[in-house]
Amino acid sequence: MPTSTRSEMVRLKLVLVLFILCFASTSTGKEKERIEEQFTEELLLRPLPDRKVLAHFHFDTRAPPTASYGRHHRIFPKAIYQLVHKFQVREMELSFTQGRWNYERWGGYDPIASSNVKPPGVELWAVFDVPQDQVDASWKNLTHTLSGLFCASVNYLESSTAYSAPDWSFREFSGNLRYGTLPREAICTENLTPWLKLLPCRDKAGLSGLMNRSSIYRGFYHSQRLHLTSGEFNSEAVNYGIMLEQTLTVVLEPNTLESGVTRSSGLALQPSWSLSSLFGRELGERCVLAKSSNVYVQLEGSLVSVLKNKWEETSAYEADTLSYEEGSLSNPSFELSVSPNRIIKEVNSLHPEGSSILYHYMMENYSDSKPFELEFKWKSPLVWSCPQAPLHASRFLMGSGNERGAIAISLQATKRSDDFLVADIDEKGCRLRVDVFQVVPWYVKVYYHTLKLFVDEKPQSQADIIEKMRVSPSEDKVSPGVMELILRLPCGVKSAAITLEFDKGFLHIDEYPPDANQGFDIPSAVVSFPDFQATTHFLEDNSSNESPLVSKMKERSSVLSYTEVLLVPLTTPDFSMPYNVITITCTVFALYFGSLLNALRKRVAEEERRLKSKAANKSGRVPLLLSKLLAKVRGRPWEPPQAASTSSSQISYKLIFKVILVAGIAAGWQYYHE
Amino acid sequence: MAEIAEPAGTSAATSSTTGEKNNSDVPDFDPKTMRKTKPGLKRLFLTFTVFFSFLLGLPFLLKSIEIYRSPLPFRDIDSLSNSIDSTPLLFPCRFHAVFVNFDASTEFTADELGFSIVSHMQKFTGSDQNCGTCGSNYTVSVTLDSDSGCVHNQNVGPAWRCGALKDSKLDENLKNDEDFDEYLESVLGGGCEGSLSNDGKVYTVVVVNRDEGVRAVVGKHRHGWIVGRILEAPMVEKVAEIFVKVFVNGGKEEGVIRSEFMPVGADGKVVLSFSLLNADPNDWIYDWDFQDIDDILLARIVEALSPLANISVESQVLYHTPKSSFAYWDEKQESYIFSTKDLPFFVNSNEWHLDTSIAADGRSKVLHFVVYVPSARECPLLLQLPHGETSMTNGFISPMWGGVVVWNPPGCLRDSENTGPLMHKILPQVQSLPRMIIMDEIGKQVTFSLEAAKLSQSNASQGNFDASAVSSRQARSLAEDAFYHPSIMSVSYYSFEHCFAVYSPFFLPVSLHVLLAVVREVKRYKQESEKYKAWKAKGR
Repeated sequence: MPTSTRSEMVRLKLVLVLFILCFASTSTGKEKERIEEQFTEELLLRPLPDRKVLAHFHFDTRAPPTASYGRHHRIFPKAIYQLVHKFQVREMELSFTQGRWNYERWGGYDPIASSNVKPPGVELWAVFDVPQDQVDASWKNLTHTLSGLFCASVNYLESSTAYSAPDWSFREFSGNLRYGTLPREAICTENLTPWLKLLPCRDKAGLSGLMNRSSIYRGFYHSQRLHLTSGEFNSEAVNYGIMLEQTLTVVLEPNTLESGVTRSSGLALQPSWSLSSLFGRELGERCVLAKSSNVYVQLEGSLVSVLKNKWEETSAYEADTLSYEEGSLSNPSFELSVSPNRIIKEVNSLHPEGSSILYHYMMENYSDSKPFELEFKWKSPLVWSCPQAPLHASRFLMGSGNERGAIAISLQATKRSDDFLVADIDEKGCRLRVDVFQVVPWYVKVYYHTLKLFVDEKPQSQADIIEKMRVSPSEDKVSPGVMELILRLPCGVKSAAITLEFDKGFLHIDEYPPDANQGFDIPSAVVSFPDFQATTHFLEDNSSNESPLVSKMKERSSVLSYTEVLLVPLTTPDFSMPYNVITITCTVFALYFGSLLNALRKRVAEEERRLKSKAANKSGRVPLLLSKLLAKVRGRPWEPPQAASTSSSQISYKLIFKVILVAGIAAGWQYYHE
Repeated sequence: MAEIAEPAGTSAATSSTTGEKNNSDVPDFDPKTMRKTKPGLKRLFLTFTVFFSFLLGLPFLLKSIEIYRSPLPFRDIDSLSNSIDSTPLLFPCRFHAVFVNFDASTEFTADELGFSIVSHMQKFTGSDQNCGTCGSNYTVSVTLDSDSGCVHNQNVGPAWRCGALKDSKLDENLKNDEDFDEYLESVLGGGCEGSLSNDGKVYTVVVVNRDEGVRAVVGKHRHGWIVGRILEAPMVEKVAEIFVKVFVNGGKEEGVIRSEFMPVGADGKVVLSFSLLNADPNDWIYDWDFQDIDDILLARIVEALSPLANISVESQVLYHTPKSSFAYWDEKQESYIFSTKDLPFFVNSNEWHLDTSIAADGRSKVLHFVVYVPSARECPLLLQLPHGETSMTNGFISPMWGGVVVWNPPGCLRDSENTGPLMHKILPQVQSLPRMIIMDEIGKQVTFSLEAAKLSQSNASQGNFDASAVSSRQARSLAEDAFYHPSIMSVSYYSFEHCFAVYSPFFLPVSLHVLLAVVREVKRYKQESEKYKAWKAKGR
């Protein structure tokens, strides 16, 4: 062995041995009480009214502040810690979503719908703790890093045309917030794997082991989100350093065999499901590094009230919810194959429908040999609906042609908006506040003065409805157009609409994406209702030991919904046109040049003479060939014209030779180039 | 035709008409094979003009489709690399031999001792001058420290405190090598620091003449000592040997410094990434207090190496990281054995997510230090060396990548330490692209890098090692900057077919016309001049 390597090795050995000594000694004597890193894993399952099931994975990793804990971690992912410190991120959220959340069916008022539902594609927003003039640079670097970290084209958000700086309508941070979306980004396993890498157990153990790629990507909605909050740079937050929250929200349809069964009432029975039928995997060993790992089954308030009504007809309600039969929970409407460790009820519900129920399962008691196999079996058909946001927002395009059009955002009152309880009442009467945040790419040139408002299908003046408005018009090839609005709609509003006209711009030929004819996406608008808080307050016996998912649901956050992504067809040029122009011009020039050269070389007298002699010979090459062909067609033996016989045959040989030569050259050229 | 033709042409044109007339006059004149006038040159000249103007235009065409390449100092680069090859970089070395307790009246004076040491050293070094050694670029100073005072030779050596070893403590000091080492350092080091900081360090050998067996010790600082009763001649040889073998060649058998062992990243940054892998956290979870390791051990190394490289340290603990090679149970050793031939598969790149560093941007080098805690199923996990012994260190290094140490938890304890076979380094292969745009900025980076490299070379040969290290780091970083310039990455290739496609619709048909015209005119001219010659021959 070369000695130079040995000396290196000795050094390495020394260092490593010292480590071993260090950590062997410290791992035993670690009694000092201090805030530790912690990781929790949770899964929330909720039956949805349209025969689907919502599965919401929630992983929470926390690191204590660097000042007290140091910069080395044992659970917290190194990449995220370095990212936060390199770009001085105060808060950041990155989401990868496929499919669109169906607000009408799956609800829009609960914490999951308003804080975990994301627009299709990639959405990224980040708040930086740097001076105002460095925010853009930090954002650009961050996009590149995230793009590398998550194998996605997040780096396309680097261009100033792709992101914007909302002032007040999106989040309350002003100045240091940047927001960008990529509606067309396709989401796949390659984005999920790096996301899983941030978990200490990855998908080797624990709840993430359920993430069978083929079943979670088969779902109707798939949203993978990463949210981090850092208290590293401001002195106010001292109790934690960085909080990393990773959620995966999927809407799955249980594949059932007995789905066609209908009851006497004419209603179809909701499909029964189990964890293994939903995910195609069993839930075995929990992640040993997790402080707690829990599975919740949530029944929504409206479902609970439907159940209550049903049971009141038959028997006592209280007895039924808590009836345990040989380790399972069973009542006339449904059956849970495993009885929950706890039942948590919502308190102080703002929803008039009723308070929801959480069945809590602790994973500590299960292992590979004794997997957690939960089965949810419906016994009687039920119809319920999810709580809705006060207004349902949708957005569409108006107009036709490739020149101009209009964007319309329509807000339709949902069922429950009759009984608004929390609208604020001022001197103008009862008013409902709606915030709208809309980013439009620069090639869709919106004329903001054409903003028209309709309430209950009647036009309204802007001053009556708009409380606050901020518009930053787009600048060609520099920045997108941003519109932020605060609307005050009358409480009893049935429908409201905003329309904006726009002209379609022209892009430079380089700026078209490869599939330009597909159209261009206008990112989702964000519509929020600050007067309405999507919180679900559960009654917890021990608040210190609270699970992050439950406390997250407790957090006050305003109801928020995203509109559809719009697809605007723009005039796309014929991309081969420049070349066609070049070709035709060159051909004309070449023809001109060639004929000029020939004219210069022409000898009139000689040519006349040749023509004369040809006339004497009578037939040229072409007539000769024609006569040959004619003879063949007629089936008669061909009689060559007497005089020209020898010369013409020579000529035809020559011609054939030339044709073969040209063909050979062409073939050679082709071969050489392939 | 006749109207636009010049006189010669007219005659040529009319010749045919007159030829017919002449036909009757001269019976042996055949118009098909003869002509009476010289064939005209006008059309031939015209077609050739067009043809040659096309040929002349060709360089302009090529110029217009040329790609901008900033002029790079290729010649300077070549000359630098040639000069490094032909004259290897030699560092100036300064040696100092101190003879204690030798009487000044011995047969040798200080100067003579100096010469004899130098001549012995030349014998040891031989003629080969390896890069990174001293070659013949050294000076030897000699001090004779005796009762009667100090005598120096003409090479003024570093300050040697006369009678420093005359203390009564000498006997006591000599008992313990480590103590004596420190003592010598205090004697020698104090004098060196201030005056010689720029000029490289001095290597010293102290020879103490005493009544005891001969011992030679090389300390951990830049000095060694020989104690015992020996004659001057073998002693001088010994001193020269220590200078050459230990101080110059670093105690290695072959004196080559392996240049590829340069784990510093392109931008002069190194990231030391320490990972503790718990193969199966369900069995046990081990943790380390890396903050303390960082503060106590690594911070100093990082500080000491800061002129050479910008080192950063990071750590992580990973779980569920089984190794991907197979280990078998050995009854005799009562442990699981993995052999050296399994090592290339030991690192499980699917499960070991070691490269999770964001701090290491693009080109910095990451060195991985991995401590692998095996799962209970393979618990005492030992590395077997090719000759059948188990490794003392239970680990291996992979050059340019880092090292792995298997640490068996105390539960299944067998002792462990480290040595290692090698895995091969994969050299990056750089392909040259002929049609690549090279921007001015890259050219500048190359020039600056070259300058820094030259500066580094000259500093090193003068002994300014710190300055040399700084500028060589700079040179390397600039060179890599140029190599990885984003413009090279993005617009790397602009195909030739592209230019051809744009120009061919015009030039292809036109050049066909021109070529055909040239061929026809030349052919015709030859034919016609044959005819004329035939007529002339007939006429005579």
